[in-house]
Amino acid sequence: MSKTHFHVWLSRYGTCIAGIALFVFFAMWAPNFLSLLNLSNIMKQISFMAVLGLGFSLALLVSELDLSFANVCSLCAVCVAWFVHNGHPPELAVAAGLLVGIGAGVLNGLLVTVLRIPSLIATLATASVANGLSFMVTQGVAFVGQWDSRFLWIGRGTVFGIPALIFWLLVVNLLAWFMLKQTRLGFRMLAVGEATEAARLAGVNVRVIKIIGLALSGLAAGVTAVLMTSSLASAAPNAAADLMLTAIAAVLLGMTMFEPGRANVPGTLVGAIIIGMLGNGLVLMGVEYYFQDILLGLIIVVSVALSSSVLKKAAFSI
Amino acid sequence: MRTSFLRFLTAAVLALGCAGVAQAAKLAIIGFQMSSETHARVVNSAKAAAEAKGWDVQVLNSKGDMSTHINQLENLLLTRPDGIIVAMGKPLQAQEQFRKAKEAGIPLVTVMSGTSPDALVDVAVNEYSAGAQAALYLLDHLNYRGNILTQRFEGNAGTRIRGKILDVVLSENPSVKQISTHTMARTASWRDDVQAGMNALLLKNQGKVDGIWASFDAQAYIIDDILRQQGAKKGKPVLVSIDGGPETYRRIADPDSLLMATVMIPFEKMGEKAVEVVERVGIKKEPRESIAHGPYIYLDAELVDAANVQNYLKN
Repeated sequence: MSKTHFHVWLSRYGTCIAGIALFVFFAMWAPNFLSLLNLSNIMKQISFMAVLGLGFSLALLVSELDLSFANVCSLCAVCVAWFVHNGHPPELAVAAGLLVGIGAGVLNGLLVTVLRIPSLIATLATASVANGLSFMVTQGVAFVGQWDSRFLWIGRGTVFGIPALIFWLLVVNLLAWFMLKQTRLGFRMLAVGEATEAARLAGVNVRVIKIIGLALSGLAAGVTAVLMTSSLASAAPNAAADLMLTAIAAVLLGMTMFEPGRANVPGTLVGAIIIGMLGNGLVLMGVEYYFQDILLGLIIVVSVALSSSVLKKAAFSI
Repeated sequence: MRTSFLRFLTAAVLALGCAGVAQAAKLAIIGFQMSSETHARVVNSAKAAAEAKGWDVQVLNSKGDMSTHINQLENLLLTRPDGIIVAMGKPLQAQEQFRKAKEAGIPLVTVMSGTSPDALVDVAVNEYSAGAQAALYLLDHLNYRGNILTQRFEGNAGTRIRGKILDVVLSENPSVKQISTHTMARTASWRDDVQAGMNALLLKNQGKVDGIWASFDAQAYIIDDILRQQGAKKGKPVLVSIDGGPETYRRIADPDSLLMATVMIPFEKMGEKAVEVVERVGIKKEPRESIAHGPYIYLDAELVDAANVQNYLKN
């Protein structure tokens, strides 16, 4: 292998190898880390972060930043809970949650493409509106208590013996990967993200593709809301607030592997697994809580430093 | 000979190590929102009390996020600690994890969280009594007549109870009128919300306000600062709240501050009590009934005003 080939290989798989090294480290030093129950716990615990991160990645792929996803997710969660608690069938509640997410994403898309508001600002505004609506629906009090058992199955059941959360996580990731790699829409999203002007000249409707990218981010927020509400059996107006930083961190970490410099589906998933593994392993090792925050901050700094211009391009195109 | 000696040395070190590990109990403490001073005070006092007993203590912060809270409980169960203390948790939402802890034989004690059939006990303060003390102090200082403003918070059981008790007291004393009220939203920017809300109420009721009741001390600090900026003097209006803590005591003693009194919630004692319960039931295996008959252990709250604030400032 030549030096250049080695560098390319390292840039693609270096972070992944670091993740494997972390896995080996925890397997050796963190009690019970390798138990099946714990590994299953890690995958369940990262599912919200990974799906939200996937949505953020899809927006980033069309060169837009969606900073509203956590608040939109919280709004979707309280909407889903409102429907379930008011005796509506779970199917309707799920549909409502997904539609609210898509609606917020489309709104972001229209603000960015029609009103030409930079996505950084437009999505912050949407986040504020979503936050206000969440508190309006709940009056600040979380939905708890009795839940329809069919609804709870979505987040707590099993599918072919696999915990439902892990099953949905894999399904959503496979669908996203298939869409990006095997469909015309995916190619167009990549083209718009990589070279907007060239895509426009090639006949791609950039405006529509950007709206779709942001709508998919909203859809991911809706999916996460359904999974979160059914798994936790509660929905608070700030239910997903804390996931914003970790989901973005997973995406940034993902941008340092497989397709360096570009948000990508497997990268985001592995990024989420590394962050989840870190949180889990440190708890098992008895490390104090503040070290987890410090390490998360370091991961963000290092991954942004390692990943190339896509995020910076999206962030500074205001 | 040399090999035998090395083997002996290794065995001795291992035995000593194992004995050390066996002696130290392992306690996990979860604070639901460590950025809240009251949560941190409970956690820090519990940590100090456990460390003083020579226990290994691990503290986790759920950052106010339910999914993080549940994940932390799940992860902790795998470490099989000798006890878990949850400060200001949500037993209803974490029902499944509490049940798993009980099934695993891990004693779990909550502090100001509400009851759970799977927790040993909830260490709490009698909010009804605390609310009554604050309400009656305010009315006493108004000579049972006048107008008051209230700053409420409905998103927390304790502050909600305090507000309801105030309403009962007011209903029996109709000469004291609540002319306006503001209810704080449960957001990260709640301080801005309180500031904006109380500024508006004070402007609207200028010159008519004899007393202000705040559902917890941190709200009272904001109101105190607004009143001081407006040039108000201690006692006009009378400002009271509930919680206690060094900053509150400093303000009560400060002649320029409008804060007259608080009802001290013994957060530090609650943390210590939780450790005591873990030790007695979890380590010494005393029967649970020897700790409390019901699901709560109530600790007393104490009114702090100019008459006794110096005692608290010394501590």
